Amino acid sequence: MTAVATPERASGRGLRAWLGAHPLAGYAIRRFGLYLLELWGAVTVAFFFFRMIPGDPIQTFIQTLQQNYVYNAQASAEVIARYRQEFGLDGNLFSQYLHYMYKVLVQQDLGPSLLNYPTPAQDVIMRAMPWTMGLLGIAAVLAWILGLLAGALAGWRRGKFGADLVTNLSIALSHVPYYFLALILTFVFAYQLNWLPARSAYDARLQPGFSLEFIASLLRYGLLPGLSIVVIGVFSWLLSTRMLMVPVLGEDYLTYAQAKGLRPRRILTRYALRNCYLPQVTAFGISLGFIFNGNVLVEQLFSYPGLGATLVQAIGILDFNTIMGITNLAIFSVLTANLILDLLLPLLDPRVKYWR
Amino acid sequence: MPDDALVEIKDLRVHYRTTQGDVPAVDGVDLTVRRGEILGIAGESGSGKSTLAVALLRLLRAPGYVAGGSIDFHPSGQPSVDLLAMDERRLRSLRWRSLSYLPQGSMNSMNPVMRVGEQFRDVILEHAPERRNQLATMVPRLLRQVGLDEGVVRMYPHELSGGMKQRVLMAMSIALEPDLVVADEPTTALDVTIQRVILQSLGDLRDEFGVTLVVISHDMGVHAQLVDRVAVMYEGKVVEVGDVRQVFKQPRHPYTRSLIESIPRIGEAPWRDEKRSPVA
Repeated sequence: MTAVATPERASGRGLRAWLGAHPLAGYAIRRFGLYLLELWGAVTVAFFFFRMIPGDPIQTFIQTLQQNYVYNAQASAEVIARYRQEFGLDGNLFSQYLHYMYKVLVQQDLGPSLLNYPTPAQDVIMRAMPWTMGLLGIAAVLAWILGLLAGALAGWRRGKFGADLVTNLSIALSHVPYYFLALILTFVFAYQLNWLPARSAYDARLQPGFSLEFIASLLRYGLLPGLSIVVIGVFSWLLSTRMLMVPVLGEDYLTYAQAKGLRPRRILTRYALRNCYLPQVTAFGISLGFIFNGNVLVEQLFSYPGLGATLVQAIGILDFNTIMGITNLAIFSVLTANLILDLLLPLLDPRVKYWR
Repeated sequence: MPDDALVEIKDLRVHYRTTQGDVPAVDGVDLTVRRGEILGIAGESGSGKSTLAVALLRLLRAPGYVAGGSIDFHPSGQPSVDLLAMDERRLRSLRWRSLSYLPQGSMNSMNPVMRVGEQFRDVILEHAPERRNQLATMVPRLLRQVGLDEGVVRMYPHELSGGMKQRVLMAMSIALEPDLVVADEPTTALDVTIQRVILQSLGDLRDEFGVTLVVISHDMGVHAQLVDRVAVMYEGKVVEVGDVRQVFKQPRHPYTRSLIESIPRIGEAPWRDEKRSPVA
């Protein structure tokens, strides 16, 4: 992967010489090119994939309009053609694709949404995004931090009763689907005990804004969906961290650290955890990217107005623009998270070098 | 108790728990390390010499355990203690200041994600926080003493060669002028020219700093060049202890004799010699 330029050659020519002198920049440029290629590929595959879903969204849409406005006459062919054009559904699949890419890339326009016509798809998505990012983002960060710490401790104290109990419990509970836990939590805390609300994101009587009352309501309503994601997340992070931790504990440098008489806590954090958390950072970056998919099941269960719920509604009426918008967002965030991690990795682990 | 004794190992027994019952690795060892000497421990692999070192450093891990005996340690300026009976916290305060360890350089003994300088820093600050201000001069000086460039401070372990690693570990082991350094196979897996340099510097450590060394090695050549006295271990027992010259000249135990004979000599090819029985 690395082409070593000899000094004589490197001093000679423009771009090649510059890249020889700046290997990290060369790597970053190559990596960025790959990133653009991946973006294009993923968006293209997603586009054709969704267009393969059978059904005609415009027909359905016209019917809905007719029902709503008691408009009995058959819509004229021109009206349908007009809507098709507006939604980018006219012409063959390939010209639709070119049209879509042109709109997205050049005009930065995802097109109108069917879900909430004539609101543009990007507005529909932007409206749902804060809910998803708030709920899932905080839940993901919490689950990762707690899981990493608990997993490090469970590995550190392996063989002791408490640590092994927690580990075995995690093996069982990490396989419980989070929606199942969500159902149980809802049943117990919302219906039986009636402590917490079971659905929606905030008290409908309150006006959204930066009032103390509203924020308290946000937390109250977010607790159950958040908890179900955090709890299951913690167990799986715990297990994977413990799995990474145990072989590190057998390394010579841990014996040496003990011989040095360092404090156990320092050995745990600077010697053991420091050497096993890197894969977890990568995994966390990737999981952060997936947040933008929205957690479909949890959002559905709790009627949380996030991206996942929006995506389900959009698929229900074949709102291609919104579906593609959310998918593009997910693709963009997963790939960007990976790109950033790849560029950050040499800073986190001195042994990682992409250049020589 | 002899006045000059630094460590007295009495009837030490270390066993390993296995599914087929306990296996004794160290089986009733009595051994005294004198202050200021270099004591070699020789023996083939499986003779229990490394287990003895690990027990002496209290680094024994399951399934190994101490089945009996005591290790009395008399650090200078401090009360004598039984290393095996101490609690972990008190032992920790003794580590490195009095009892230090020099592992084999080819092992992965340094934290791969910490710079060399930092790995000096954490052990020095742990046990001698009053030296915080001297760190900047102290670490380069230690590195120069073992023949390394002070730029090594900023390097990571993976950037060092095997010989450099061994020297860094050597500099680290004497950073706090300990009473005792236990060196486990300090020259193994190094090429012969580096071996010679390492042996030279180990000898210098004793001469310049008065460090007492316990050197564990399967290589009789190392003992011949470096140590004052040598203890020969065989099947968990010390079969012979004595002045290294004496042992080489007049080995009393047949096992010692075969160990010494196993050192290759120029002009003699053991596999061509019908009279000599091969040593396993």
